[in-house]
Amino acid sequence: MTAAAGPGLIDELVLGSTLKLEELIDRKALAELMESVRDLFRVPVRLYSEEGRLLADAGAENQLYAQLSESRPLRVALEEIVQRVKNLAPGPDGIARMSCITGARYCVARVEYDGHSMGRFILGPYALPGGTPDVAALAALEPELDAPRTTELFGKLPAVTDELATQIGAHLSRMLDLVLFSEHRALLTSQMHLASVRESFRELEDKSKKLESAYTKLTELDRLKSNFLATMSHELRTPLTSIIGYSEMLVEGLAGELSAEQRDFVQTIREKGEQLLLLIKGLLDLSKLESGTMSLRKDHVEAAKIVKDVISTVQPHALKKDVRLIQSVDPGLPRVFADGERLGQVLLNLAENAVKFTPPGGTVSLEAKLVRMDPEPLGTQHGMVLLATKRSGVEFRVADTGIGIPENERARVFDAFYQVDGSSTREQGGTGLGLSIVKRLVEAHDGNVSIESNQPAGTVFVVRLPLRHTSLG
Amino acid sequence: MQLDFVNRELTVKLVYYGPALSGKTTNLLALHQAAQPGASGRLMTLETRDDRTLFFDLLPLRFKGHGGLSVRLKVFTVPGQVIHAATRRLVVQGADGIAFIADSRVTETDHNTESFLDLKHNLKEHGLELQEMPLIIQFNKRDMPGVRSDAELAELASRGREPVYLAVATSGMGVVESFVGLLHLTMGSLNATHDLEKKFGFDLRGLLSEVTEKLGRGRDVPAILGACVGGALDVLVPEAAEP
Repeated sequence: MTAAAGPGLIDELVLGSTLKLEELIDRKALAELMESVRDLFRVPVRLYSEEGRLLADAGAENQLYAQLSESRPLRVALEEIVQRVKNLAPGPDGIARMSCITGARYCVARVEYDGHSMGRFILGPYALPGGTPDVAALAALEPELDAPRTTELFGKLPAVTDELATQIGAHLSRMLDLVLFSEHRALLTSQMHLASVRESFRELEDKSKKLESAYTKLTELDRLKSNFLATMSHELRTPLTSIIGYSEMLVEGLAGELSAEQRDFVQTIREKGEQLLLLIKGLLDLSKLESGTMSLRKDHVEAAKIVKDVISTVQPHALKKDVRLIQSVDPGLPRVFADGERLGQVLLNLAENAVKFTPPGGTVSLEAKLVRMDPEPLGTQHGMVLLATKRSGVEFRVADTGIGIPENERARVFDAFYQVDGSSTREQGGTGLGLSIVKRLVEAHDGNVSIESNQPAGTVFVVRLPLRHTSLG
Repeated sequence: MQLDFVNRELTVKLVYYGPALSGKTTNLLALHQAAQPGASGRLMTLETRDDRTLFFDLLPLRFKGHGGLSVRLKVFTVPGQVIHAATRRLVVQGADGIAFIADSRVTETDHNTESFLDLKHNLKEHGLELQEMPLIIQFNKRDMPGVRSDAELAELASRGREPVYLAVATSGMGVVESFVGLLHLTMGSLNATHDLEKKFGFDLRGLLSEVTEKLGRGRDVPAILGACVGGALDVLVPEAAEP
């Protein structure tokens, strides 16, 4: 059984054999109801449980019994009568009647619910209309009986016929049956509600446990993948260095002169080897960034110098391609707290990309300026006064006049191995890792990178790095 | 099932299962109406403001039985709406027999199937297999337009094991037949498992004729049982009970 503990209880409540009168009714409220019946007919009413416990009492002052009880033999006899009345078994119609030694009457009405006997109402003592006390029987037990007084007090008992008493008893039983039905229903509803909530909770708990274990497994897999990548990249790099080194030596003629064709071939081996090395370095960077093991050597660096270095690195390629390079650096730019080498790598990657995707005659510009940075978009407007304090930042803009990136592709270009037009991967060269490394490097600097459209054509990559609060002007 | 040895009284739980709005509560209402006073208690419904079943409906029925073992039947419906999955699982727990109320309309085919798989799943959660459970299938709403034809249902039913009944619960047609079929399978199975006949002198035929009579259908049990259009009314004998 996997279900919660609740349903056993529900079945017991529903299948019904354990239902108890005292658990279903509100005794005080029921006593009020019985009192109203007593006030109507002047007949005392009491409700007893199946086990004979008094549950509700709408009795009345009984001067006759009080007086008779002063005599010990009569008191004993009366107590015995009360016991007999309480144990009286009603017939198939649910009713039983009995006379007391005083000549007064009792009527017992069974309380049933769903075919089970739950208890009984006891009405009385009452006198039949015009009835008189059984003075002879009383005097036999108590010779000093005050007969006139007894007759007088007997006359004060409520006078009803047996038929009326039976009707009152049956009426009370029917009313109680209704009360029991609604109470049973309410009890079932609340129990069922509770059990349902518990069952839903159990189900959710099961599911979240499964999710949690799946998540743990995935995290572990991801870590393994990063480890594997790091190890493999390292292991690949070692022999590759030899391949490049030896082919370089061959090209330089250290092992004897090569024919033009041989040199050409070896040169190709060397170039492809270097391309492979770049790819492996990229993978290594990516895995380090993903596993969070990349260590940044942050320092206060001069943005202008980095921009200048990047421009001079891409200049030869740009010249060859007839692409104009423009740089513009805000003269008042404070130093940026960053890993200079990595920041250079980011800008170089973006600039190389820009040149690569700009057709001859186009322009690539590299710009650095001081900006105000908005905080990350917040889910709620609460506390904006505290959270939205604007920070200063440095913005690098690398703009090209190339083919541009459609808006719906912009988020995905930062995925590893993704290029906007899959077919151009080979055409345009590149590993497909550059931008994902850029993004992760920028994020490792607590910055962000985004893409905007250049007018009239092309793309602008925008890198924003926050300045440290201490350097706020 | 509960057996009260002192009072020689057997309490049996029957559950009406099925997709939302297929007529489970209407079946109970029709049974309640058909039952003679004394045989049926009040129909208890736990429903929402828009008359949809929230937790369950419960119809208690009482029969004297023969051979000194009286029988109480607690007939439940489950809430059909998909969101009440947890409640359905609770209600179906401890069921001795199940009536699956399907909607005959062709458009409801998927809902019927989903609900049936849900039943199978919920029984499994309680460690029960559907094939071990006394089960009848009722195709309700035969008076609606766009229903599967009698011939098609008979063809489909002949391939299944469970008895299949056709019904229009709003008019009471087929309701007693379905119920008696279910009772026949359930009591037969309980008798076989608990050896009620030998221990208590339980008499299945006698009980069924008392039930049909008190549901206002005379005492011709075979005619009522014969109303099913497919499957078999053979009582499942659990392996453990076989000699």
